[in-house]
Amino acid sequence: MIERTKRAIDRFLELALIVLMGANVINVLWQVFTRFVLKEPSSFTEELARYLLIWVGLLGASYAAGKKMHLAIDVVLQTLKKKKKIWAETGIQIFIFLFAFFVMVVGGLRLVTITLSLNQISAALRIKLGYVYLVLPLSGMLIMFYAVVFVIEKFRALSGKRVEAEAVAVESQEGI
Amino acid sequence: MELFHILILIGSFVFLLFLGVPICFCIGIATVTTMLMSIDTGPALTTVAQRMATGLDSFALLAIPFFILSGQLMNRGGIARRLIDFAKALVGMFPGGLAFVHIMAAMMFGSISGSAVASSAAIGGFMIPQMKKEGYDLDYSAAVNITSATTGLIIPPSNILIVYSLASGGVSIGALFVAGYFPGILIGLSLMVVAGMIARRKKYPVAQRIKLSEGLLRFLDAIPSLFLIILVIGGIVAGYFTATEASAIAVLYTFILSVLIYREVKWKEIPKILVDTSATTAIVMLLIGTSMGMSWIMSYENIPQTVSTALMAISNNQVFILLIINLVLLMVGTFMDMTPAVLIFTPIFLPVVMQLGVDPIHFGIIMVLNLSIGLCTPPVGSVLFIGCGIAGTSIARVIRPLLPLFIAMLVSLLLVTFIPTISLFLPRFFGY
Repeated sequence: MIERTKRAIDRFLELALIVLMGANVINVLWQVFTRFVLKEPSSFTEELARYLLIWVGLLGASYAAGKKMHLAIDVVLQTLKKKKKIWAETGIQIFIFLFAFFVMVVGGLRLVTITLSLNQISAALRIKLGYVYLVLPLSGMLIMFYAVVFVIEKFRALSGKRVEAEAVAVESQEGI
Repeated sequence: MELFHILILIGSFVFLLFLGVPICFCIGIATVTTMLMSIDTGPALTTVAQRMATGLDSFALLAIPFFILSGQLMNRGGIARRLIDFAKALVGMFPGGLAFVHIMAAMMFGSISGSAVASSAAIGGFMIPQMKKEGYDLDYSAAVNITSATTGLIIPPSNILIVYSLASGGVSIGALFVAGYFPGILIGLSLMVVAGMIARRKKYPVAQRIKLSEGLLRFLDAIPSLFLIILVIGGIVAGYFTATEASAIAVLYTFILSVLIYREVKWKEIPKILVDTSATTAIVMLLIGTSMGMSWIMSYENIPQTVSTALMAISNNQVFILLIINLVLLMVGTFMDMTPAVLIFTPIFLPVVMQLGVDPIHFGIIMVLNLSIGLCTPPVGSVLFIGCGIAGTSIARVIRPLLPLFIAMLVSLLLVTFIPTISLFLPRFFGY
């Protein structure tokens, strides 16, 4: 059940990222095209590019959390024995959960309501800025979900009912 | 009181860091905890959330995902192979030639892509097996791969220099890009000097003497790949387009080359490439977002001024302070990845060195060069991991052959630190 939900969310995020990223490439190429070929620079592309980047960055952040891709220093963690390691890993997920809940969901929702109530509207696209910031609580909730899933997986492994292979190979990524 | 807040910020950050919490969350949690000491809960949470979103609200930052995307597209064959063939024609005739070829190819690949990991994987995937076949020591080949890949971070385009531009409060990306050429080439050359000495001692063979006509042919074959340099860097320097627009053009160009002409990337691989790019981008973006929150609280608590006063109390000698900063960064680099290190330490160190008359462009190059050494050192080094992975060797075994190459990099770092002209000649020349 949990695995199925996780896979469904992974899929949804992958699809969203493909669309957002692909759209942004086309968007910026359109900007170059309108300036050099049509000689009439498009007015909205730069703003759209920035908002799409915020969405890719923060939605992608939850996807990366689900794949455990965020850079961490696990030198100490690797030296711990099996049981202690599981407790440490649980602690890590609790910290991630708390940050996602308090800052991204609570703080993010406050930000959304404040900007909506001030009726801040973007200069070129004329959309309400609050909608752009909605990605914060959305991504926050997904990160919380992944944190819970990881903790459940750990404790299942600990209780020995079912030893699961690591859900995903943790990729070592440089970032950029 | 202020000191207590600073201790909370640093203490909670270091605790979470060594517990193994991902660095972006360490930064975020340490920031919120410190903020809660002086600001009400609601506004504190909202401020961090807002900094996370507005920190990404930048057109310049968009160049990062696009350069990652074009790197992914050229990663899979075609372009890397042609650059290697061309590099063989250029430097294959030296004793130990394949090591020279490896370094040269990494520099050329670096000059069209902005990532060291991409370079290590793309060039190493071809070169390490070839070096093995010609009797090179496997660990040595891995060491050459790892160190030479870092030249791509300094030779433009460079994603990390875009991050630095943001962290420094807007140093021109174009200026940073051109500033990277000579330091990047300097590292490449110093690595080659060491490779030459090792080749003489171990009697490694000459790779291949190539006839002029054959060399010319390979050059022609590499032109479409190398043309990207002129398109991207030329376009930025000449002021035709911004770095972000240049990066989008680089995506289009590599797409046409890899997918439509060389057909080495299949259409059905594109969705996966887009997802990989987004995820890699997001790792950087979340770091940037939370770092924006941290730099807010740092300036709120006057941390840069405090550090600056403390350092100046020790000495106001430029050479001495730069040496100290270099040492600190080298230590940080051994366990921390480059992006968070640049985001955290630029706002702290840049004001100090600027007071001593160091150009922010020059300091950016020093920082990136310094931290790129950290990418090759254990316990944590992303390029080290990738290079060892490709060669199928272990970190413990690759350390010995890495040592002489480290010395070459350290010497380059010292030269770049204390001879500003190496970095600043080109930016001045182009009028930045």
